[in-house]
Amino acid sequence: MTESLSRRGPRRKRSRRGTSGEVLVAIDRRRKVAAWLQLLPGSAYFTLLFLVPLAGLAAMSFFRLVDFDPVPAFVLSNYAEVLTTSIHVRLGLRTIQVAGILTVIVLLVSFPCAYVLNFVFRAKRQLLYFLILVSLFGGYIVRIYAWRSILGRQGVINQTLIGMGIIEEPIRYLLNSMFAVGASLVNFLIPLGVLPIYAAMQNVSPHVIEAARDLGASRIRAARQIVLPLSMRGVRAATAFVFIATLGEWVTPRLLGGTKDLLIGNRIEFYFGQSLEWPQGAALAMTLMVAMGVFAYIIISLMKRLTR
Amino acid sequence: MTAPGWRRTLVRLRRRPLGSAAFMVLVFVFLFAPLVVMVAFSFNSSPRLSFPFAGVSIRWYQEIFTDTLVLRAFRRSIQAAVVTAGITGVLGLLAALGILKVAARWRTVFLTTALGPLAIPGLLYAIGLAVFYRQIGVGRSIWSANLGHALIALPFVFLIIGASLERFRFGLLEAAQDLGATRWYAFRTVTLPLILPAVIGAMLLAAAISVDDFVIAFFTAGQDKTLPLVMYGRVLKGIDPTLNAIGTVMLILTTSLAFMAASRTTIGER
Repeated sequence: MTESLSRRGPRRKRSRRGTSGEVLVAIDRRRKVAAWLQLLPGSAYFTLLFLVPLAGLAAMSFFRLVDFDPVPAFVLSNYAEVLTTSIHVRLGLRTIQVAGILTVIVLLVSFPCAYVLNFVFRAKRQLLYFLILVSLFGGYIVRIYAWRSILGRQGVINQTLIGMGIIEEPIRYLLNSMFAVGASLVNFLIPLGVLPIYAAMQNVSPHVIEAARDLGASRIRAARQIVLPLSMRGVRAATAFVFIATLGEWVTPRLLGGTKDLLIGNRIEFYFGQSLEWPQGAALAMTLMVAMGVFAYIIISLMKRLTR
Repeated sequence: MTAPGWRRTLVRLRRRPLGSAAFMVLVFVFLFAPLVVMVAFSFNSSPRLSFPFAGVSIRWYQEIFTDTLVLRAFRRSIQAAVVTAGITGVLGLLAALGILKVAARWRTVFLTTALGPLAIPGLLYAIGLAVFYRQIGVGRSIWSANLGHALIALPFVFLIIGASLERFRFGLLEAAQDLGATRWYAFRTVTLPLILPAVIGAMLLAAAISVDDFVIAFFTAGQDKTLPLVMYGRVLKGIDPTLNAIGTVMLILTTSLAFMAASRTTIGER
């Protein structure tokens, strides 16, 4: 008797809980299905137009070129050809060097810029932030062209210097030189550096700096030892953006550099443009992608060690 | 954190802003010099790109607005912007709504992969897309470029709409449903109006990204030249004074899109 009661009691309870639970599970399952259905179109689009093209590029790097037509195959000769061409090694090393120098310059400008924006001119930061956003969307080609009118022989700088009597002949190496490429790229990359650092600094309270100052730290020391570590996430993102953007750069050297001031991106463009040797171009692109991954790893682990 | 505390701290930090002001002025002069020079030269009556100005005129604008090549490119750029905004708006909104309801570890997977397009150089994505189109036999056209624009803009749209949904109070939705609203009706009358500014802002940003793009269009648009492609062709040919006018028109287009985007979303609130 007692046994049957004790068995009956819990069972009835369980069954009641079970039905409401079943309803909840059903609702939950419907919500889950709906969620996956909502994620489906975007994921499909992403797969089809991002992952598949990249896989296609990887596949193309193993294709054989027959009469300028890439034929499906599995040959490693494209890689052998691309990696043993001395100009690629030279341009690759130069590109990494340029990317490194630009990253350092951009960070040295962007960090103070974000700092001043967030802590010094806090009242006007909305406006200043917007101006930086505008310069980010100021047009890529447009800006490259504008640098030509600033740096050219008849350009603003040369004409002003001649007008002031400082120089007699226009300075030639302002345009069609690595200097022009660097100036234009720094100009283009500063907003890309400022925005992530500034976003990360939103989480740093001005009180923290005040506390450091009260304890006798100089302004610079407070910025370096307090704000920098706290906004490191943004600095890392900025580093990655700037480095990645420079590695894939080919338009700026083409339009502002001299005939010798090329970067590795120009070689990739050459293979896909003029020479139509797509498999070789794909092999070079894949090599660049792998090199980029290796460098990203090295830089991030270096930065971690530096800030520890 | 009390307000007076903040203010006192800020006053202290702001005590000697002279050096900071000088630094910011230098940075902004450097950032805006090319844009200011371009806009100024677009009104120069002489075709030479040199100082001093010969006079002020709008002849370059008259020239580009009667140039069928430029006008056609302008129309294509606008088309690209609209299509990109449309695709990313629909896909981004759906994905942002869906990701709220999946398990946390799946959410991380989706958010991380969505950042993929930001992690590789535009050049590599553009040639990947060109290879893909060639392999499946799709020709080069403005539509091919559009799909690429939508892809690189999608992460931004997804993240911006996602950020606005994070601040959305879902209690409102439950309240609406308790009062008898169907799920769709509640979405249409409660969720959508509240997140609409962010959705529109994100779509405008996508449009700006599309108008500004050069690399993807270069490798996939073929003969359907957009404004940046027309500009590139003319820069290669040499000095062409109409470029300043085209550049100024593009600048107005992209910055007004970016401005409208920033004033509607959290990217403007930072």
